[in-house]
Amino acid sequence: MSIVSSTDILEQRTRRDARHERLFRWLLKGCALIVLAALLGAAGATLWGGREAFTTFGWHFLVSSEWDPGNDVYGALVPVYGTLVTSFIALLIAVPVSFGIALYLSEVAPAWLRTPVASAIELLAGIPSIIYGMWGLFIFAPFFAEHFKPWLTNNLGNKPDDGQLSWVAEHVPFIGKLFGSDYPFGASILVAGIVLAIMVIPFISSVMREVFQTVPTPLKESAYALGSSTWEVAWNIVLPYTRSAVIGGIFLGLGRALGETMAVTFVLGNSMRLSSSLLDPGTSIASAIANQFSEAVGLQKSALMALAFLLFVVTFIVLLIARLMLRRLASKEGR
Amino acid sequence: MTDSAPAASAAATKITVRDLHFHYGDFHALKGIDMDVPEKQVTSIIGPSGCGKSTLLRIFNRIYAIYPKLRAEGSIELDGDNILAPGYSLNRLRSKVGMVFQKPVPFPMTIFENVAYGIRHHEKLSKAEMENRVEQALRSAALWDEVKDKLKQNALGLSGGQQQRLCIARAIALKPEVLLLDEPTSALDPIATGRIEQLVEELKGEFTIVIVTHNMQQAARCSDLTAFMYLGELVEFGPTEMIFTKPGKKQTEDYITGRFG
Repeated sequence: MSIVSSTDILEQRTRRDARHERLFRWLLKGCALIVLAALLGAAGATLWGGREAFTTFGWHFLVSSEWDPGNDVYGALVPVYGTLVTSFIALLIAVPVSFGIALYLSEVAPAWLRTPVASAIELLAGIPSIIYGMWGLFIFAPFFAEHFKPWLTNNLGNKPDDGQLSWVAEHVPFIGKLFGSDYPFGASILVAGIVLAIMVIPFISSVMREVFQTVPTPLKESAYALGSSTWEVAWNIVLPYTRSAVIGGIFLGLGRALGETMAVTFVLGNSMRLSSSLLDPGTSIASAIANQFSEAVGLQKSALMALAFLLFVVTFIVLLIARLMLRRLASKEGR
Repeated sequence: MTDSAPAASAAATKITVRDLHFHYGDFHALKGIDMDVPEKQVTSIIGPSGCGKSTLLRIFNRIYAIYPKLRAEGSIELDGDNILAPGYSLNRLRSKVGMVFQKPVPFPMTIFENVAYGIRHHEKLSKAEMENRVEQALRSAALWDEVKDKLKQNALGLSGGQQQRLCIARAIALKPEVLLLDEPTSALDPIATGRIEQLVEELKGEFTIVIVTHNMQQAARCSDLTAFMYLGELVEFGPTEMIFTKPGKKQTEDYITGRFG
């Protein structure tokens, strides 16, 4: 009797466990699906909202630099260009600086300095972007216009005084085009790139610092034992060992730079005119949307939606390139 | 017999340690070590955990110098030059004294690059010369036959024992005069350990080998001389056979018979 009932209980319990297990699995699957649904929903909604712009202008929307609400003609080239170039400048500055910070904190700095500096960097990451924007607009951009910009245009571009090309601009191709400017204010693509760099440095450097600390001590010691210097250990051992995490950190920063809205809107100058100069104002996808959404109707609103969809596409392509890069590096290393 | 002079061997002295003290910050880890390491022989250092045997080994190539607050006093002469003197170049020292660590730690590169990496630091070789040197080092480390077809693969794909032999190949590729082994088999299985011990036997004709081990049988099997350390002091140093059969000091006898440690 007692034997029978105990098997019954066991069987009941097995059935209940199986039921719970199924429920639990569905719950987890649901959580994961929410992310996917949100992503597809947002991409789909922007694509749907931008259908009017896409059908009206076709491929022309991607390659035209014209953005004229008066005549209802829209092209995405200027904001796409601004987004890519500001983010590129930001990474160009932020990656080496972050590498230096992380390396200093993990390999060189005395122990008592490591924790305070590391927490300071993490605090920096927590500053709202509007504050960076305000600082950029009121302090950095005027300072840049007064002290750096004249030097850059005089030495690398055209001299504002007489319009003559500088020596560098005459002898090196492209440089003159990048640094010539007749526009007197600071807000520009270069300033936006610099402010973005300051914003993403905390992200990239704290990821790098954390992964640098995971490198086993004996690995570094064996490289030192072969005669390597600190720099060589960092470059040949620490960096390759942590490579995929470091690239992940860089792309975290890039993701932030591509989508950053407030700070960029403040310091980018919001000009829809295409200019090859980094010292001229420009616009980015996010800041164009932020600036124009409140008064946009009809085709202009659809064009902004289409821009938002392009931001998805740009981010997706950038991440794809990162994946491919990682794979190529891995195969080069024989993995 | 004195502590510092091994009785039996007629070999020339390679490393002369005199009144060596070592401090980790406030901790006095080595207290006046005197020791003569003979050339082209295997010298093992044994002793309980924390006795300072690894510390002593890590002074021979000044690897401790990468950390702050560590300090060595006294003198260690390598062929008559004091390696602790500030003027002795670290690059020169590390090309003469190679080191293999407890855990196999291949660099995150291909097998070929692991061996070539150190050579590149000290010499400029053509591609053919480099290939030759790498092959030679891998042959000496008894690894060539196992890896010759996969030199371009990542070294992390090798087994633990192979990885450790790769680390030995990497160290001897620089053609050092002294090879330091810091418990090189403690992370390996018995078969891989046997191969490493056999390798040590083969290499001693070419290099002066100093091996730190917590495994007394290993010291007895593969070394010519054995040093016993305890609490930062060198208790006894002499021919391995003598240390293990008729030790001169009570502490040594207690340790090798397993009464403590």
